Amino acid sequence: MTSLRRALLLLGFVGLVGGAVPLMLAPASDHVDSKTVSMVFLPLIGWAFIGTGLFAWWRRPENRFGALMAAVGFTWCIGGLWMANEPGLFIVGMLFGAVPYGFLVHMLLAFPRGVLEGRLATGTVVAVYFVTTVMQLAWVLTYDTTRDECGCPPNPILLWDNQGVSDVIAGAQSAIGLLAVVALILALYRRWNGVGSVQRRGLTPVIFTGAVLSADLGLTLAADLAGVSGPVEEAVDIAGLSLLASVPFAFLIGLLSTRMSRAGAVGDLVTRLADAPRRGELRDALARALGDDSLMLAYWMPGSAGYRDVHGHAVQLPPPDAHRAVSHVDHDGRRVATIVYDATVVEEDPGLVDAVGSAAALALENERLDAELRARVEEVRNSRMRLIEVGMAERRGLERNLHDGAQQRLVSLALTLRTARLRLEGHEDGASELLDGAEQELNMAISELRELARGIHPAVLSDRGLPAALESLAGRSPVPVEVGSVPDERLPEPVELAAYYVISEALANVVKYADASYARVDVVRENGHVLVEVADDGVGGADPARGTGLRGLEDRLGALEGRLAVESRPGLGTRVKARIPCG
Amino acid sequence: MSVSVLIVDDHPSFRASARMLLESEGYDVVGEAADGAGALLEVERLSPDVVLLDIGLPDLDGFEVTNRLAGNGPAVVLTSSREGCDYGTLAEGSGARGFITKSELSGSALRALLP
Repeated sequence: MTSLRRALLLLGFVGLVGGAVPLMLAPASDHVDSKTVSMVFLPLIGWAFIGTGLFAWWRRPENRFGALMAAVGFTWCIGGLWMANEPGLFIVGMLFGAVPYGFLVHMLLAFPRGVLEGRLATGTVVAVYFVTTVMQLAWVLTYDTTRDECGCPPNPILLWDNQGVSDVIAGAQSAIGLLAVVALILALYRRWNGVGSVQRRGLTPVIFTGAVLSADLGLTLAADLAGVSGPVEEAVDIAGLSLLASVPFAFLIGLLSTRMSRAGAVGDLVTRLADAPRRGELRDALARALGDDSLMLAYWMPGSAGYRDVHGHAVQLPPPDAHRAVSHVDHDGRRVATIVYDATVVEEDPGLVDAVGSAAALALENERLDAELRARVEEVRNSRMRLIEVGMAERRGLERNLHDGAQQRLVSLALTLRTARLRLEGHEDGASELLDGAEQELNMAISELRELARGIHPAVLSDRGLPAALESLAGRSPVPVEVGSVPDERLPEPVELAAYYVISEALANVVKYADASYARVDVVRENGHVLVEVADDGVGGADPARGTGLRGLEDRLGALEGRLAVESRPGLGTRVKARIPCG
Repeated sequence: MSVSVLIVDDHPSFRASARMLLESEGYDVVGEAADGAGALLEVERLSPDVVLLDIGLPDLDGFEVTNRLAGNGPAVVLTSSREGCDYGTLAEGSGARGFITKSELSGSALRALLP
């Protein structure tokens, strides 16, 4: 048995005895009018609060709610001492007579977390504690208990017998108490409006009882202020006591309904999971089970030590705060997913998130694997894209180096040779022929270098864009090529380059294999794609699987999520089409 | 009277060898510039008859400089170490007198493009 359980059992025993105090004092009391009412309601209320409070304290030791409820019961029992004929016990009862209401207001406003939220709730509780302790003490110190000839024992701590002062204090207590009741009703109404349907089910009885009780207390205080007496006052008292007795049971009903709603939520979830939810529906099912539309689901990726969403995209968990709670779901000892949800869910029912997570663990593991696969595909795609971009940059740099370095030096050398030949005219000795030969060799080297540079990277494409680059391709082609529609605006470099290479390779094939007299090139943008088409009037019958040229292009297009298609029926020419995404 | 020429190219070795060649063939090379902005300033200052203008300049390219010199300015002859066909129809539509690949530059090739 834990020390907490032992302590609570001891408190329970004390409460049992304390609750019986009115049963012992009421029959012999000289100053209690409604002895039956006192003997029924006073023990009942004390035991109900102490019992349910200790039970809640045991179940949720970290939550102050149970302690507050038990405090209502214990102070209620102590307050019952006012029925004693012995002056010392009587005055202790008088001093504690209002304290339970302080704890009661605190308890109602702190439900279910056990802590107060907001200035309205805190201010109300402070005011009520002030009225029920400090002002109550001041009233007792100035109130002559024998004044009203009620048969009450004398006040042993009467410091200053002044009816005027004690009446003013009592009036102030009633007025502040009335204001506090209004504030309590307002705070409960706000709480009711501020929670989701699942939490509201658990809150309903307590909120309702608290609100009605508040109204009844308000009526009692108003009746005190208005000086109502007789059967009306007694009826108001009995109604108030009945409602007070119902509060602990309302709390039990709330707890039970939360457990039932938890069972219902988990049952609904299991049914939905059996229907094999599609991607993204699992989050919706969990959100519905927890009654939290803002729920976020993140899947743990062990390799990358990070979180991904259901689509495999990286996500960051929000930083922890008072309003968002985080719960990890494990399966077979490994973390599968993390649920981020509204903190009021766990305040209302700490076991619900764990129950829902356990029920969905296998489905979460399946969806995590799906997300991991998607994440890896995305990583491969990004990696392939980066490789292509690095390759593009290196080829661009190489072409630039050739252009600015070797090509320029060879060109200068050619011009210098030409100058030398000019200056040798008239006194040659065969040197001119030697220079002619050298110049021819040099021009061939320059031409070959130029072709090499052009093959490495089409500089005109980078410098002038696709229209100029396609005109250049068409101009160099031995087969007449018509350049049809081409977008004037610049496209993303990888897209531009992929389109260029498709056209370049297709035109090279036209020259090599098609026996065509004419070819046409078109590039159009359509629905977020660039469509490239190269058509010729040649012999057709091209096999895309033959050779590496078009296959290499398929790889390049694949990195961009593009597609290549070749239509080439014998005798009907060839049509090469590429479709490249271009946001 | 010899034809005055301004050579515009960002490669000093080409400017030097082109100057030597053209001067050997009787041209008067009155100045050099290494970029498009310098070319515009030197044309304003020197008023040459011909501007031998590289297409691939570091700031404004040769087509842009030609465009800005259009009107009553000097005759512009574009040049590049690449071939004219690499630029498609751009050279033809630029307003320049013509295009000479750098390795084929000579006084006679230049003269053939001038009126």
